[in-house]
Amino acid sequence: MTFVFWTAIAIFAVAIGVGLVRVASAKDLGSRAIIGDLVYFAAIGILTMIAMLTDISIMLDVIFLSSLLGILATIALARILTRGHR
Amino acid sequence: MTTAIDVFIAFCVLSGSLLVLTSALAMFRAKDALSRINVFSPATGLGMPLVIVGCYVYLLQREGFSLYHLFIGLVGFASLIIVSSIASNTLSRATLLSGSPVHRYTRPNRLAYARGEDPHVDGPAAMHEPDEAQVGDEAQVGDEPRGDDPAGN
Repeated sequence: MTFVFWTAIAIFAVAIGVGLVRVASAKDLGSRAIIGDLVYFAAIGILTMIAMLTDISIMLDVIFLSSLLGILATIALARILTRGHR
Repeated sequence: MTTAIDVFIAFCVLSGSLLVLTSALAMFRAKDALSRINVFSPATGLGMPLVIVGCYVYLLQREGFSLYHLFIGLVGFASLIIVSSIASNTLSRATLLSGSPVHRYTRPNRLAYARGEDPHVDGPAAMHEPDEAQVGDEAQVGDEPRGDDPAGN
């Protein structure tokens, strides 16, 4: 199982790298915002895999809290895009 | 039995991470910001919930059943789907309101033009945006341009 978790960590890391390259090459702010969201979720995946590798019992709590609070960054970026208008 | 559970956990974890990677790669193929927000949804709608399922089964195998873990897993699963959908909706609204260009092949673009007033649509046949249910009925679609033409041309 250790190999599986390390493989998943590598795949998530590649996703983060691809996303960062896309952020650098994107021209509009909406694309950058959504790729930031992608990097966020990939980082949550890496944290979960590390928690499963090291047998920390908070692995579900990590995903629970991050999935509930992940909307905050996206909505903040959306508000920034519209300069505060709804 | 343990091997089968391990294979299931590996399937969930690896397919979830591969879905996230696929969404990241699809960001290069999508042409505008709205499409990029659209192609992100497999990662949050299927990839991360699969990671949650794998994580929960792993925890179930290690520590046994716990009502708290089941609650946390279910709420996390549902909130990933619901909350990320709301976030994507809000972000796409903001993207469109901020004047981000939509790709020129986006047809019909009902966010920009009223129905039947799209200047890029060629001919009255395309002006009547056919419902998906009526597309299969060839006779009805073929008769439509001659029968109902509000512009008179």
